Amino acid sequence: MIKRYWRTALALFAILGPGFVTASAGNDVGGIATYSAAGAKFGYIVLWTLVPLTVSLIVVQEMAGRMGAVTGQGLAGLIRENFGVRITFVTMVLLFFINTGITATEFAGIAASAEIFHLNRFIVVPLATVVVFLLVLRLSNKLVERTFVILSLIYLSYIVSGVLAKPDWNAVARGTLIPTWSSEAGFLVTVVGLIGTTISPYMQFFLQSAVVEKGSRAKDLFNVRADIVVGSILGIAIAGFMIIANAATIHQSAIVNHKPPLDIDTAQAVDFARALEPLAGHFAATLFGLGILNAGLFTATVLPLATAFIICEAFGLEAAVDNRWSQAPVFYSLFAGGLVLGAGLVLLLPANGLFQFTFYAQVLQGAVLPLELILMLIVINRKRVMGTHVNGRAANLIGWGTAAIIGTLAIVYVAQSIAGAFGGS
Amino acid sequence: MAFHDGFLSEMIGRAAVVDAGGRRQTVGRVCDFVVQKPGDTFPHVDAVVIKSRSGKRLAPIATVVEFDDDGRVVLTVAPTLDAPPDDEALYLVEDLFDKQIVDVDGRKVVRINDIEVARTSGALRVVAADIGMGGIVSRLGGGSIARGLLARIPRTLIAWDNVAPLHDLNPTQIQLSVADNRLARLHPSDLAEIIGDLSAQDAARVIGSLDDETAADALEHLDAETQRSIIDDIGAERAADIIEEMDSDDAADLLGELSEEQQERLLAEMNAETADDLRELVAYDDETAGGMMTTDYLWIYPHRTVAATMAKIRELAPETEFIYYLYVTDQSEKLLGVLSLRTLLLASPDATIHTIMDSDIVSLHTDTPAEEVASTIARYDLLACPVVDASGTLLGIVTVDDAIDAIIPDRVKKQLPRFTSRRQRERLELV
Repeated sequence: MIKRYWRTALALFAILGPGFVTASAGNDVGGIATYSAAGAKFGYIVLWTLVPLTVSLIVVQEMAGRMGAVTGQGLAGLIRENFGVRITFVTMVLLFFINTGITATEFAGIAASAEIFHLNRFIVVPLATVVVFLLVLRLSNKLVERTFVILSLIYLSYIVSGVLAKPDWNAVARGTLIPTWSSEAGFLVTVVGLIGTTISPYMQFFLQSAVVEKGSRAKDLFNVRADIVVGSILGIAIAGFMIIANAATIHQSAIVNHKPPLDIDTAQAVDFARALEPLAGHFAATLFGLGILNAGLFTATVLPLATAFIICEAFGLEAAVDNRWSQAPVFYSLFAGGLVLGAGLVLLLPANGLFQFTFYAQVLQGAVLPLELILMLIVINRKRVMGTHVNGRAANLIGWGTAAIIGTLAIVYVAQSIAGAFGGS
Repeated sequence: MAFHDGFLSEMIGRAAVVDAGGRRQTVGRVCDFVVQKPGDTFPHVDAVVIKSRSGKRLAPIATVVEFDDDGRVVLTVAPTLDAPPDDEALYLVEDLFDKQIVDVDGRKVVRINDIEVARTSGALRVVAADIGMGGIVSRLGGGSIARGLLARIPRTLIAWDNVAPLHDLNPTQIQLSVADNRLARLHPSDLAEIIGDLSAQDAARVIGSLDDETAADALEHLDAETQRSIIDDIGAERAADIIEEMDSDDAADLLGELSEEQQERLLAEMNAETADDLRELVAYDDETAGGMMTTDYLWIYPHRTVAATMAKIRELAPETEFIYYLYVTDQSEKLLGVLSLRTLLLASPDATIHTIMDSDIVSLHTDTPAEEVASTIARYDLLACPVVDASGTLLGIVTVDDAIDAIIPDRVKKQLPRFTSRRQRERLELV
């Protein structure tokens, strides 16, 4: 009966499926930072990367959703059953460290918003940690998630601001449709960062678990897919407008004033608030601060929790929020550990390095993504696991293609960095 | 060292050798173990699978002698048999390592990290599953560091007779006989909790593997959404059999959650009498006495003797949900009085029912709201309360447990302590 009440109350959010929620969680602090930096530094010419990224994101997420619906298992469980303890262990260790790093970027966003509101981050970040703890342990997960998703509507201000900035729509169209590779320094790393933040490795784990949790089966695949396609396109559309808004303001004014474009290695989060000026005027910084605060709190709430769940799933350990600490010690340690480590890292970093930390964390995500894709592609092609729902030729082509291209870009980037380091010395 | 007690993870990867004219010749490496009858309580390990250059070969357990000083497995003859196809035998490593099982005693879904075997009365048997970090560390390998760690981490083992796989172990065997099903040993509310933790696919598979009565008990304890998805998955015929075994009020609640088309398909599969009762119950709103009542009660005519009534109760009680009150009705089913089992026990066997019944009846109507049902039952200290229509005809009864269920929030229900006897989980600690 109580249940029925909730069902009515939540009917409003019925449209918000796992794909949509994942896409919202994907536009996190790292997303805002990377899309803003890409637009501010390179202008409209990076827009085209979003087109193949949309295709890859949909294909990759569809694979995760299909695996969840067909097997009823999360990605971590499937990796465990198909690759055994060793590969699972390495994957989970990597996942924990990367996700803790990403959690740190969310707190970096919270710290940046604190600076904008002239608050001390050494007070705000610990406070936010406590808030996240309480949100997770005291409130219904779904409710928290949905509140944040609704608050994510704040991103729509990028669409409005992007339009109000009167961008050169011809240049926008050219930038979107004609792939251009800039030889400027930082283009490659920006592309890898864009990939990493758009198709974050954790998103596939997250989505697949959510599909399983929702009880979707093979017969529900149409709905699962529709939700993923809509969520992905919406998420990337918002990313596109973030780039446009930054390109039309920060990048344009640099060109007009004959100043050098923004330097990623010295930029500060608050610099990117200017992209919201066409909409919010003097309140741009406030709006921007609220935006990253919401994004940071949302993903900081979801990510350490999801990570703890995923790792416990892989190792068959007790994992549930309504268990007591003594019943699920590993789960709680992972959750608390990820959260506190993430928040602590931000307090150790210098204030003027927070943006760079956030940006390069996305690059790292891009670099490890191929490893995750390879595991997914092997499992999803096994008849024993997927039955008739193994990958078709097109999905395999795009999936392996994505893994190969990103892998190549990552290797080239690493090689360049090493060469650069030696050349510089 | 004889080839016996130990963990499979410690045997996998070892070289297998045969004696060839005083010299030991390597024939391959141990990669798996075959069990032919996985349904046994502690199944025999029938053969060791040796991975050789020419493919997987089967070494019957009788040909396996011992470990030599170098830790190699010594065979009496080189294995020649081909390993059976995967669907004809159970491979312990391939089919069970890393897979989910239910720990029946601990009432949890866990993963198998390692398997312990032991030689008892001449046969090598599977005795326990390792579900803890000890098994993981052992599988990770990594030489002396891992072995050092392993010595510190106690193994968390569950005896094999408490292991209930989620998937049928041996596809060629017809469903493991229902009596053997280890999940049926769980208390229905515990079983329901485990099922609630499973994926939709596994939940349907587990319910499908239970006998109708156990399945019905478990289903009664599940939330509507899980019930619906299971009913969807197991097919109308089986679902109808299970729903027939459920208490009529729970069965009606479940049917009420389904589409009308699905309701009809299920009702058509049931016997006519049950179906008619359920049809009536489904029509009532969940949160009224009509929706909460069950039609499964004992009734009696007023002119019967106490002795005859006792005989009737003995006959009907095993099939009836609620036997502590008897409802006295006339031929047109009009409610005349109520009688508790206690009154009946204390009365003389020759007395007739109408002389000892209580005709001052507290009753409810089908549209009485849930809160009022609960408060009525509480005020008069009842175990159950009859529901009648305007003319006083008895339609059903609401029992106290359903009244409580209807007014406690779900959130609180989850936090209630469980009253089933909790055997201490078996933890065999090996050093």
